[in-house]
Amino acid sequence: MDILRGKIRALKQRLRPDGDVNVIRLQRRAKMTAVVRQRLPLLKFALFAIGYLWMLALPIIPTETTEKMDENALLPGQVHTHWNWAEVHTADRYLEQLEALRDNNATSEQRSDYLVKEFAKLGLAASAQPYQFSTVFGTSDGINSYAILSSPRTSGSEAIVISASWLSRTGEGDGTLNLRGVSTILAFAAFVRRYSLWAKDLVFVISDGYLEGMQAWLSAYHGVSQPNVQAADLELTSGVIWTALNIDYPGHSFSHLGIYHEGLNGRLPNQDLLRSFRRISRGTGGVPVILYDRLDPKDAESSFGDLLPKWIPIPSTIVQAVEKYYYFGKNVVRHANYQARGIGSGTHALFHQYRIDAFTMYALPATGPHGFHSIGRVLESTLRTANNLLERLHASFFFYLLTNADYSLKIGSFLPSAILVSVAMMFGGLRLWTDAGWTRSLTEEKGAPRWVTRPRPVLQVVTIMASTHLVGAAMFWAINTSWVANSAFGCVLVALCASALPLIALSAPPSGEDEASVSSVLKSLNLCFASTIISAVAVLNFSLAASMGIALGIPLSLSASHKHTPVRLAHYTCYVILGTAWLYYHSGVTKMIWDWQVLGVWFCPFLCIIFSPLVMQAGIVCLLP
Amino acid sequence: TLRLVFAVLVASRLLLSSTSINDYLIHDHQLSSPLTSYLNLQEGIYLFQNGINPYSGGVFRHSPLYLSLFTTFLSPSKAMASVLWTLCDSVGALSLVRIWRARQRVQSSPRDSLIAVLYFLNPYLLLPSLAYSTSSIENTLMLLSIMSACEGTASASLLALAFLLHLSLSSVILIVPITLLLLTDPTSRLTTPKPFAGSWRKAPVLLLELMMYFGILTLASTIVCDGLSWVPQTWGATLTLPDLTPNPGLWWYFFTEMFDHFRPFFLMVFSVHLLIYVAPICIKFQYDALYATFLLVGVLGVFKAYPTLSDPGIFLSMISLFPETYAFMRHPIVTSLLHLHAALLLPLFHQLWLVQGTGNANFFYASTLVFACANGAALVDCVWSGMRIAIGKEVDGYAVTQE
Repeated sequence: MDILRGKIRALKQRLRPDGDVNVIRLQRRAKMTAVVRQRLPLLKFALFAIGYLWMLALPIIPTETTEKMDENALLPGQVHTHWNWAEVHTADRYLEQLEALRDNNATSEQRSDYLVKEFAKLGLAASAQPYQFSTVFGTSDGINSYAILSSPRTSGSEAIVISASWLSRTGEGDGTLNLRGVSTILAFAAFVRRYSLWAKDLVFVISDGYLEGMQAWLSAYHGVSQPNVQAADLELTSGVIWTALNIDYPGHSFSHLGIYHEGLNGRLPNQDLLRSFRRISRGTGGVPVILYDRLDPKDAESSFGDLLPKWIPIPSTIVQAVEKYYYFGKNVVRHANYQARGIGSGTHALFHQYRIDAFTMYALPATGPHGFHSIGRVLESTLRTANNLLERLHASFFFYLLTNADYSLKIGSFLPSAILVSVAMMFGGLRLWTDAGWTRSLTEEKGAPRWVTRPRPVLQVVTIMASTHLVGAAMFWAINTSWVANSAFGCVLVALCASALPLIALSAPPSGEDEASVSSVLKSLNLCFASTIISAVAVLNFSLAASMGIALGIPLSLSASHKHTPVRLAHYTCYVILGTAWLYYHSGVTKMIWDWQVLGVWFCPFLCIIFSPLVMQAGIVCLLP
Repeated sequence: TLRLVFAVLVASRLLLSSTSINDYLIHDHQLSSPLTSYLNLQEGIYLFQNGINPYSGGVFRHSPLYLSLFTTFLSPSKAMASVLWTLCDSVGALSLVRIWRARQRVQSSPRDSLIAVLYFLNPYLLLPSLAYSTSSIENTLMLLSIMSACEGTASASLLALAFLLHLSLSSVILIVPITLLLLTDPTSRLTTPKPFAGSWRKAPVLLLELMMYFGILTLASTIVCDGLSWVPQTWGATLTLPDLTPNPGLWWYFFTEMFDHFRPFFLMVFSVHLLIYVAPICIKFQYDALYATFLLVGVLGVFKAYPTLSDPGIFLSMISLFPETYAFMRHPIVTSLLHLHAALLLPLFHQLWLVQGTGNANFFYASTLVFACANGAALVDCVWSGMRIAIGKEVDGYAVTQE
């Protein structure tokens, strides 16, 4: 009992020691600061390590299945479908005519005439929309065809779009035609007008080209004008579009339906739509669903295990685990590639900017067993599900990461990885900031050096940072001119100019002892700014934030000035390579500029005005004395 | 050099407002509130000119003084507005420079240009001004009033203050510090705190004069509107919060979530809460009334009803008047980073909620909380450094702490 009492007294003494409260508080604060300060490198390392490991672990984090629906009104797969062999026959007839058009090398005009005529034959209001895009690479034109089935049940204040682009997304629009997708739409239009179930207007759009046709059509539909587009106004319009289903069926038959869902600038559709589609496709259509176009290792013909030599005794469970990680990981990387670059993964990508939930169902080319019969039934049932909606899909279901068609990650299980990296950078920046404000002074006569504060050249540093971003803006302007964009040499020249400018920093005089060095304050603010950008972007576009975390996290933390000029230059060269290497890859740059000028993808301005300047600032840190 | 810098700034500001940038900004909730929106003003003027009482609907909440200004002297056209708002910014920047000169008791100083630049290029001030938010006019009036008070021209100061009160009722908390400023002088006495030195005898006269101006303006408004129907729509809106359009302040979300039977009570709490800062700040900083005014401007920026970005913006630009306190700030970097985060998150979450539709109101509300934290941090740090400066630099082996 006495021991216990003694312990309690000791504890009390520890929590509330005797003496002056203020002194104790000051001591406690000093001790706490010292503890954090001492362990800050470790803490930083831990944050970086956990953040990056978390990113690596994204494919295998325990996830939720995509079985559960958030919106109960969707009622997926609960209707009897009417699409049958007669409709398949219709689709085959349309396909024959489309193939004839293809074989005759029909122009956009002839194709559009044919499509509008066929829609009109069905008794639908149909029209065409010519458009022309002019970019620094020249002009591209085409004609969209579309038809509207007015809702038999309501006033048509809402609409659903069923679309197919003339070019398939195979190879990101490499020229493969989407003939079967188009004939599915035609046959489907003939089919749905026989039913009076539709509570929303149905709009059938066959857009020309791969992405540009739909961009022109959607801009015209929503009355958005783009200075470099000449597109005719739409003669027919309907209500607010809520949902869009895009069909991509390039092959003869298909074995799986693939989901493509990434929109422009990292937008995603509501996950409920994807979940309904998956359930309907499996249940009603009997077609297995995959994410993108890669088969699950269980379904694939060759597997990772076959590559290993037989004589190494590896348990099959491990092989399977590795296979699974590899498969899920590839999906995550592919998603990140679409989302971070903001390019979207198909024609559906253009819809999200107008608050329309859209995805592409991609019929994976194979020798069988599925064809028009299955895709029609899946489409019919999915449309019925979308038709059920009385209000828009709920706002909480837009932040997710699909690791494959069956599993998804909630925001809480992937967002912290990027945030942790950004926090580590912030800690690094704050530490440098505090350090820059103090110096050891020996001027005192007492002999023992003591810590004194010194001013930091904030205004100078902010000016340097602002001017790098201005150089970035100039770079963005330059590569958007037609001469630079069209020549690989021009891009290289822009990169060289941008990386030569900071060399002025070499001539900067070293700062005195009584003022913090520009280099250290610049590094501190550079880290803080980069960290802020990463955490802000994380909510908008996780993949971009994570890529920034990977590309900038360690490099920006390592920048430092050096005594010898050659070493400085060598360090600077590394940063130049990190910051401007993308400009040397000309085909990538042209694609990026085209995406910016035609579709308004932000990746090009982001790279020029945010990313490269941040890296250049780290380079300047190395150059400064 | 100030003249040159000023000319460049005004020219570029005019150039900027002659572009179509206004079309992108005029609808933004962060730049203009229902009480300061230029679109609402135009609608009210249209109704007024067509013989309809603009206050009978629920849209127009501007003061009748704006109605008379824009229907007699000025036209509510965009070209006119771009000139008028540029003028407002220029007068505001010039007033800020003159406040600085009065505080330093100099005719000109090398810092003048920097202060003008910090006013013109402060994005929180520039963007609302480009959106033609009438909060820019209110800011200019506030600075004019403070400037006149600093220079000792009491009547001008009180007239500007009466206009300001009329246009934005929350500014009532500035009456006391500006009166104190009129009774003393603006020179910096932060390092030598002592009891109030001015004479109280003039105070009743000043307050009476203010009441007189205010009464005349009220009478004029009543004549313009042919009745008192404007009172509940303008001053009443500040107190009863009828329009819950989102803004970067703290009130709107709180009152969208509230059950109706609690509304009157919390409206009272929120309104009175603004007033409770007046006495402590004015008593603590009785030796430096300009600093007290500055801090209360900061309080308005955090806590007033229907704020726009320009309300905290004016506080941030006014920090440039007090360089002597910088060395004693505790966490300037944290404040700046909070502001950086808020400045990125506010438009982003606004976009996610209202344009893209993938987020909801909680997103934007969260970013307004970050913004409030940033403004609060700035305010608290200014209070701290304003008091801490009196103790002077720390001596080895000693520490300064707050009991």
